[in-house]
Amino acid sequence: MSKQASTNPDIETEADTDTDAQPQTQTPSPETTSDVLPIETGADAVIRALENEGIEAAFGVQGGAIMPVYDALYYSDIRHVTMAHEQGAAHAADAFGVVKNEPGVCMATSGPGATNLVTGIADANMDSDGMLALTGQVPSDMVGSDAFQETDTIGVTAPLTKHNYFADDPDTIGDTVGEALALADEGRPGPTLVDLPKNITSADTEREPTPGEPPATTRPQYSADEDAVLTTANAIEEASQPLLLFGGGVIKADATEEARAFAREHEIPVVTTMPGIGSFPEDDDLCLSWAGMHGTGYANMAITHTDLLIGVGTRFDDRLTSGIDTFAPEAEIVHIDIDPAEISKNVHADYPLIGDAETVLEQLDGAIETTPETAEWCEQCVEWQETYPMDYAMPEDEPLKPQFIVEVMDEATAADTIVTSGVGQHQMWASQYWTYTEPRTWVSSHGLGTMGYGLPGAIGARIAADDDQDVVCIDGDGSFLMTIQELSVAVRENLDITVAVLNNEYIGMVRQWQDAFFEGRRMAAEYNWCPEFDTLAEAFGAEGFRIDEYDEVAETVEAALAYDGPSVIDCHIDPAENVYPMVPSGGANGKFALTEEQL
Amino acid sequence: MSSESNTDTNADTETSTEAESTDTSATETVERGNPAPDTDSDLPEHGLKGAEPDDRPHPSGRRNEQGIRVDPAVESRHDPRRAVLSALVEDDPGVLSRVAGLISRRQFNIESLTVGQTTIEGHSRITMVVEETEPNIDQIERQLDKLKPVIAVGELADDAIQTELVLLKVRGNEPDKVNAITQMYDGETMDADPQTITIQLTGDEQKIDSAIDAFEQFGIIEIARTGYTALARGDTATVPGEKPGTANEPTKPANTR
Repeated sequence: MSKQASTNPDIETEADTDTDAQPQTQTPSPETTSDVLPIETGADAVIRALENEGIEAAFGVQGGAIMPVYDALYYSDIRHVTMAHEQGAAHAADAFGVVKNEPGVCMATSGPGATNLVTGIADANMDSDGMLALTGQVPSDMVGSDAFQETDTIGVTAPLTKHNYFADDPDTIGDTVGEALALADEGRPGPTLVDLPKNITSADTEREPTPGEPPATTRPQYSADEDAVLTTANAIEEASQPLLLFGGGVIKADATEEARAFAREHEIPVVTTMPGIGSFPEDDDLCLSWAGMHGTGYANMAITHTDLLIGVGTRFDDRLTSGIDTFAPEAEIVHIDIDPAEISKNVHADYPLIGDAETVLEQLDGAIETTPETAEWCEQCVEWQETYPMDYAMPEDEPLKPQFIVEVMDEATAADTIVTSGVGQHQMWASQYWTYTEPRTWVSSHGLGTMGYGLPGAIGARIAADDDQDVVCIDGDGSFLMTIQELSVAVRENLDITVAVLNNEYIGMVRQWQDAFFEGRRMAAEYNWCPEFDTLAEAFGAEGFRIDEYDEVAETVEAALAYDGPSVIDCHIDPAENVYPMVPSGGANGKFALTEEQL
Repeated sequence: MSSESNTDTNADTETSTEAESTDTSATETVERGNPAPDTDSDLPEHGLKGAEPDDRPHPSGRRNEQGIRVDPAVESRHDPRRAVLSALVEDDPGVLSRVAGLISRRQFNIESLTVGQTTIEGHSRITMVVEETEPNIDQIERQLDKLKPVIAVGELADDAIQTELVLLKVRGNEPDKVNAITQMYDGETMDADPQTITIQLTGDEQKIDSAIDAFEQFGIIEIARTGYTALARGDTATVPGEKPGTANEPTKPANTR
């Protein structure tokens, strides 16, 4: 890759590098970390700011303009994971942040390094994942001259970040990094970026960064207006078919406990969005699993018939609502969100409650005097679960069904196992047929739908997870091939992850849509050749497995999970298997199709 | 989730440490994980089941394209209207591109946007005129408010002072007539030569439009309009939370959120 030509003499001579400032020979030991080393350069201040905020890990790729920052990282205790590609760095940082519930940090050089991060930044932005991206930039006096490896990173990432910063002063560069981290984590989380010109990071400064504070202009509102709470509480008391809709915001606000208690206390059935998976245990009697395009039939029936939909930390995305005209058509809508701009953006909120999910649920709980009478409604929800069960057939004359593999893996692992995925059919099976009970165990790309998220996501999740927690990546062959190079990182870092590639030798979701909506013209979705992923995994230095038959599944899954290090199972599944139920885009949730003929 | 309430007979996999489902809702007793041959029955034992989409009960309610539940008794549709928004912003580089980028990527209809410094160092005021539906006007305000450099934003009342400056260049062969019309509209002649006369006019949209009509007879060669700039009347704050002040006692944007 061109940016590896980081020793381009033009850049090196332009930059005012101060490489003599610190010793070059020793390996850092815990005693000689930057805790004791004085700040000498802008880059030192950047790293100090990260340390001050308690950052434990960063994911990135080296390159010319970011070299001073990496040089300062050399003396830090922060664990740096060198990724194979900057997109992988962004996804790994994203997943690390999701699992830790704090902003993940990724780093890249200027130009191609920064543009390669962009997909991951956009992904974090769509999923409201806190993240800080640090990008190198050409020296500030060369900015705007189309210098080697120059990109207008601020311009490119402005629409994809909560805010981005161009560091132009070595004395305040550390403060800026602290502010960017604080902003990424504040209120509704999201990515921020600091662009670091090489002359600023290598310039002299001795200034210690101040503790990171979010900017004064962005302070969110944490508790909802009391009058609005009372009116909403009244509506809940009077509802006969209330339904809670937990989005990813419930998990991000760390409101899982409060949300669970609220649903149980007031006996209100729960559906989640896909990012909200894990906010409420899917094996709970009140849980109808997740709603939307490929959600369960019963969740979609409940949304269609509820008279009061209580959305918490959700943005009523089109994959959830399908056609707006038929979305929860009989329901008044309560919308609890910390971002005022989400209120009535997609669906009109009859009861808007701006605030933090946990705080507002506590306020509501305190204001509700009589729990709504929901026995009949709960019974109806149970009936829908019986009428529209999530189930699949396994005819003997057809190849291995992917849903079975997901279920076997679920059964073979503990409840706190983290599942990451790419995007496509495998993602739907992984979310439909795995029973999630804990928050932050489902780590995926939702809003942006980024194929290739799974493997780098598993790397980030592995580093964030507890040692005794399993990390599993359920991937598709198409998604896996998009970021497969990150397997080298998993091997190098000896990360214990298990990748199950549900391999149908298709870009399966596209193929399913082509069959349903394009008269079966499988343009650019069908492979005439696909690598053997088990062999490929071995070439990377990982352990490779292959499954073709039902009777191999349990044993192979056990062996792959038991392997201490990265393992890949190439699961040859029924290429004709499709994802159902399905609400066609723009359709009515309650009219989900169970077969292609019903679309 | 009912899919988990089935006993897996592929018993090798019964090593789960996960709590088994206590869901009693699933009454089907068919077992998954057992690739049993299909039965002779037309109804498959396994797979997704249930009524066909059109055979399910469906509520008759609807929402309009703005996501508002259609109440048959009330007209809930919103038509676009003109709104003047004022935003107090930090004067950092790129603030205009951030604001303009937001307006364009969210497809808001904007008529004009002006920006200028205030008496407070580092603060500028952006005034924009938009033509949007009520929910979208709210959206614009809220989205703008999310931008880090935006300190506060609000919509101006109808009685706010709104004015625009226009430079008009017309043919110069009838200077007396041009001068007369310039007087009528309280304009000012900025430049004149044998070929052209350039006039400056200020006022609201109606006045400017009417003046342009009046000057049309001479042949308008070029025109440049600034777009609206506006301030609230009296001691009403232009932006909510902003306290009107003087040069000595600068305005203080209160945190409105």
